[in-house]
Amino acid sequence: MATEIDPALIKGLTIGLGAIGPAIGVGLIGAAVVGAVGRNPEIQGKILSTAFIMIGLVDAVLAFVLLILFTT
Amino acid sequence: MVVPFFGAGGESLAAEKLFSIGPLPITNSMIFGLLTAAFVLGLFGLAARASSLWPKSRLAFWCENFVDMVLDLMAESFGDRKKAQRFFPLLLTLFVFILASNFSGLLPGVQTITYNADGTPIGLFRAWTTDLNSTLALAVLSLATVHIYALRELGIVGRFRHYFSGNLLNPMNIFIGLNEVFGEVLRLVTLSLRLFGVIYGGEALLFAIAHLAGNFAWAATLPIMFLEIFFSLVQAYLFMMLTATYLVMALPHEGQESEAAPKPAAAMPNGRQAKA
Repeated sequence: MATEIDPALIKGLTIGLGAIGPAIGVGLIGAAVVGAVGRNPEIQGKILSTAFIMIGLVDAVLAFVLLILFTT
Repeated sequence: MVVPFFGAGGESLAAEKLFSIGPLPITNSMIFGLLTAAFVLGLFGLAARASSLWPKSRLAFWCENFVDMVLDLMAESFGDRKKAQRFFPLLLTLFVFILASNFSGLLPGVQTITYNADGTPIGLFRAWTTDLNSTLALAVLSLATVHIYALRELGIVGRFRHYFSGNLLNPMNIFIGLNEVFGEVLRLVTLSLRLFGVIYGGEALLFAIAHLAGNFAWAATLPIMFLEIFFSLVQAYLFMMLTATYLVMALPHEGQESEAAPKPAAAMPNGRQAKA
């Protein structure tokens, strides 16, 4: 490539595009949790613990993005 | 202009070598990992010594409550309290040690107290889980436990049939089995990289926010700090739960063969009660 690309632009695009997927994932989990708690509120604790596992799994993707962003 | 996040005293991706004993290099994360392990051992050792039928020490009371809570959680996910108690020491140790290591990266002085090894300043301490070597070691430990126990319970043929089930002349079954074996290797990668990525990425984020905020770093890093505490908890919990889930999936399920016999006996009192 003849033209130079600013690395800051690439970094901005990395975090911007990389945050889309986890954001959608966390949103879906949140919607599902609210729906599940609304249907049967008595097992709220169980639902929330499962939801935290799922949020942890999804957030790992964002962590990889941060890792790539800060180490290159 | 590119902000040099890691040029100005940030942490590098790999743990730095402090000194070496013979051919073995000792890194800063190893030293801090040993300190964390000593702290956890000391804390739970004290609690175990003070533990009694009617605990008078507050530490013993809280530790017992915590252990009981985790045991209840494990009994729920194993579906059997006795089976959960068999693997409970490993799972609790994983949880507590990973949690302590994650939190230790947030302490003041970690990465900021430096040591001059060869003229270049190196952080003397570094949280144990921000090194890929250590998280990989944890993942190898937990997955080796899963495989060894599964081999002992099922035998080699049973373990093989766990992956390649059904008629082996059908190429589809072989393909599914190969996929399962590949997933097994992938577990090692995801288990280690997830813990490392989240904790290391979080610390890099803290460092970057502190540098971007300048004089207001004390206010800007506070919400990130809470985020880090939350992530540390979730990742430690996740590691324990994933190990438990892999164990549950690999071991034979109840009602398969060995535990089919006690079931009618257990059903007897219920039947009597229904009659009476």
